[in-house]
This record gives sequence, C-alpha cells and structure tokens, in this order.
Amino acid sequence: MKTNNIFSFRRLYLLLRRQILSNAMSLLIAFGAVAGAMLVVTLLSGFLQPQEVSNLTGLYLTVMFIGGFVFTSNIYAELHHPQRSYQYLTLPVSNTERLAGAWAISAVLFPLVSVLAMALIVLIANLVLNIIMNVSPFYSVFTGGTWTAVKIYVVTQSMFLAGAAYFSKNNFLKTVLTLFVASMILQFVFAIAAWLILSPLDPGPGFSMQMQHMTPQLEQLILTYIPNTAKVVFWYLWAPFFLVITWFSLKERQV
Amino acid sequence: MVNIENLSFGYTRKQSLFNQLMLALEPGHIYGLLGRNGAGKTTLLKVIAGLVFPREGVSKVAGFESRNRVPEYLEDICFIPEEYHLPSIRISRYVSLNAPFYKRFDHEKLSWLMKEFQLNPEHKLHQLSFGQKKKFLLAFGLSTSARLMLMDEPTNGLDIPSKSQFRRVIAASLTEEQSVVISTHQVRDLETLIDPIIIIDEGKIIFQKSLAEISNSLAFETVEEIKENVQPIYFEEALGGYTTIMPNTKGKDTKMDLELLFNGVIANTKGINQAFKS
Repeated sequence: MKTNNIFSFRRLYLLLRRQILSNAMSLLIAFGAVAGAMLVVTLLSGFLQPQEVSNLTGLYLTVMFIGGFVFTSNIYAELHHPQRSYQYLTLPVSNTERLAGAWAISAVLFPLVSVLAMALIVLIANLVLNIIMNVSPFYSVFTGGTWTAVKIYVVTQSMFLAGAAYFSKNNFLKTVLTLFVASMILQFVFAIAAWLILSPLDPGPGFSMQMQHMTPQLEQLILTYIPNTAKVVFWYLWAPFFLVITWFSLKERQV
Repeated sequence: MVNIENLSFGYTRKQSLFNQLMLALEPGHIYGLLGRNGAGKTTLLKVIAGLVFPREGVSKVAGFESRNRVPEYLEDICFIPEEYHLPSIRISRYVSLNAPFYKRFDHEKLSWLMKEFQLNPEHKLHQLSFGQKKKFLLAFGLSTSARLMLMDEPTNGLDIPSKSQFRRVIAASLTEEQSVVISTHQVRDLETLIDPIIIIDEGKIIFQKSLAEISNSLAFETVEEIKENVQPIYFEEALGGYTTIMPNTKGKDTKMDLELLFNGVIANTKGINQAFKS
C-alpha cells in the first residue's frame, strides 16, 4: 500500500496520542495547579462578595489567554531540545501532521478543556457556597462573550505557535517581544501613511484631521473599507498566515 | 540505498566541513565510518538522516531526498545518536506510544532484544543507566525494521560484556535488505563487525574498501626492523619492533589491524590507495 507522505489521520492520531500521553503528568499538574488557584479565588470571592462572582469570567479568560500562550510557546519543546530533537524529527510523520498535531492540542483542545474547567470551578464553588453560606451565585460560563474570547484566542495563539516553532529558547518572551516591536513599527508606518495622505486635506496649522475636511471617498475608506478589511484579515487570514510560517519553520528545522 | 552526490556542508558560511563529497552505500552491509575528531562523521550521519541540510548537493536514501523528511523515508531510517534524552515514562509506554509509527515494527524481536539486554519493560526510562538507555534505544531501533540504521558511537558507555553483546545482536538481527552505518573512533570494539570501512578526512571520503579488498591488497605485519630495500607504506613503532602495512604482492593472509590501517590512511592516503591499484 502506498504511503501518503503529506497527511494521514492515523499518523495524526498517533502523534496526538504520543504528545499528550508523553507529557500527561506534567500537563495534569500544571492544569490542576492553575484550576486549583482559580477555585480558591472563586471561593474567596464568593465568601466576601457572592453577588460579584459572575464578574470572575474575565479573570478566567485572562488566565486562559496567558496560560494558553505560554502553553503554545512550549508545544515544540521536543524540537528544540538538543538531545530530543533528533527523535522528534525522525519520527515518521509529515510536517503538516506536526503542525496539525500542535495546533489541535494548543488551539482546540486547550481552550475546550479550559472552558470546561471554568464551568467545573463555578459548579464546585456554587456547591460549596450553597452548603456553607446557603447562597447560589451560580452562573453559566457558556456565554456569547466566552465563545468570542475563545475565537479570538484561536486566532491570536497562532502567532505563539509560529514563535514556538521558530525560536529555540525563551519562546514565549521572544514572541511577546517580537509582537511588541512589530506593532510599534506598524503603528509608526500607519501614522506616517495617515499623515502623508491626510495632511494635505487639513487646512489648519499642525495636524488635526476633522471629518468635514474629508472627501466622501476617503470617509468611506476610513470608516467602512479599512475596518471591514481589518476584520476579514483578522478572522480569516491572520491564523492561516502564521500557520504557514509555522509549517515552513518546521520544514526548515535542523538539529 | 544511500547516494550522496557533490555534498557541500558547513556550519558557518566561511568554513566548509564537506566539499563535493560523494558516497554510495549498498544494502546488506555494516559500514564503519571512521575519522579524526571533527572530521564530520556525526554531521555526515545527520545529513543522511535529514537532520541537517547540505549547502550544495544532495543526499538520497532509497530514492527519497533526506532533507524532505517524508514519512515513508523516516520509516526506513533509524538514527541512534551518541547523546540522547529519553522521557520519564516506562519502557512499555514508550514502546506503545512510538512503535505504531513504524508499520513493520517487530514486537517479537523487541521482546528478544529486551531479554538479551536484560531490560525490564516496567522500568522507567529516566531511571536507567546511560548504557541501559543505549541498549534500549538499540533494541527499539532494530525492532523498527528500518532499512538503514545510523549509529553514532554506539559502544560508548557500554561495559565490556555489553560491547560483545552489541556485536552479537547486530550481526544476528540484520537482514540482507538492511544497512548499518556505524560512526566510531573506538575501532577495536567493532573491527570484527564492520565491513566495508569508510574513512573521512578534511571533508572528503579518502578511503572506502571492503575487508576482502583490504586483505587482498594490504599485508599487516610486525617486523623487528625496517629494512631499506623493503619500505612499508606505513609503519608504527611497537613492542619489540614495528607494525607495518605493506602492499600484499605475495597474496599473504594477514590479520587486519584496523587502528593501524586508519592511522596509515590518515598519514599516507595516496600510498595506501595506490596499493589497491597495483
């Protein structure tokens, strides 16, 4: 039987199984520690201000984002370990499967387990508070806001996945630094571009653009086309772009 | 099985380790890859395994370009490095997580090798000694039924009984379709196992001959003194005289001294290779 050298669900399943079970203990300890800390915070909040417990969703999601980015940054740890990389790179799987496996764990499984953990924390906190204080500040974490946050996480974590494949050490910090520098450069470029395009329209001294000075076409560009394009880029092109970068980083990786 | 053509490689742009290196390896042999420290033995194995990429030229294994690392090719190679790190899991779990990637994985062979090496599947990998870990990697690698095994200093860290056990196991478990390339500087450990011999120096393969070719063309003799009219190709002082490499013009059957041959090839490459032409 001819082997498919690009993608096989069987190999992807084996890779996922290997990745999860090889690190099962450390994953459980890390996840348990964070979930335990969140439970303590929820219980304390419930004891002190039961009516404010529902405001903790923001904290849970912040922890999920930061934890997820750190987790994603380390997803290719085996690839960068000098004495383990040979094993990972000679494992009979394709680069597409190496990418799909890491993405499935960090972008799908991680937020799914995180949201379920949030629900479990709220449920346990509710039971405990009900027994001790006879109050039930129960609320559902499965709200539209939570799912939007998960979608934003799925898009943004792709940058950390690219950083995980590209950088050899301190992947999380290096990715954060790269994003900071890149955003500074982009802001500078956009500011210069805006100044070059808009300053001729501004009759006054200095540069303070007023809507009445804009042409209808420019107004439509700024208020409609640019935001709409930005939305399309963010939701549909951002993650695929960084996944492609990740794929090439894996393909070109040497020990 | 392995075809390397015009390979150029260097870790930096200015310094080249290999320049237009050519190498062809056939199935059914245990190749001994010898060379001085820093000659590029490990790097050559990594090039073949697709772990580092050539600057120029190409390395192919069974028709697959190494640097592409496609699954079908990776199923057919097994690389055992000199230094490695194994996860903190039981041997049995490591096998259950990694063996399914290899379609031809031979579990019976693994059980036999584990018994030979006195390894317990319930032992945790990180608790094994360096030598035991190496034995496990060898057992696992041989069980993958990969057609090409690349071993970097495989006898380092093995005790004396384990070294002979290693030779026995390698000799017994290989098929005619398989090839092994063993990079080593401990030639005494492996001189009864490896054939042909490949010597690499200054970025080139300077010697590649089978044992039969060597014993047909070279004679390894110990003499009390070097006579002026019988100049050896290479000689070293030894206890009570000299060990020499002579052209085997009289068809003598002498025991090959691999260490002497290696030193001779490094010191007088032209002279040694000339003996094979005459």
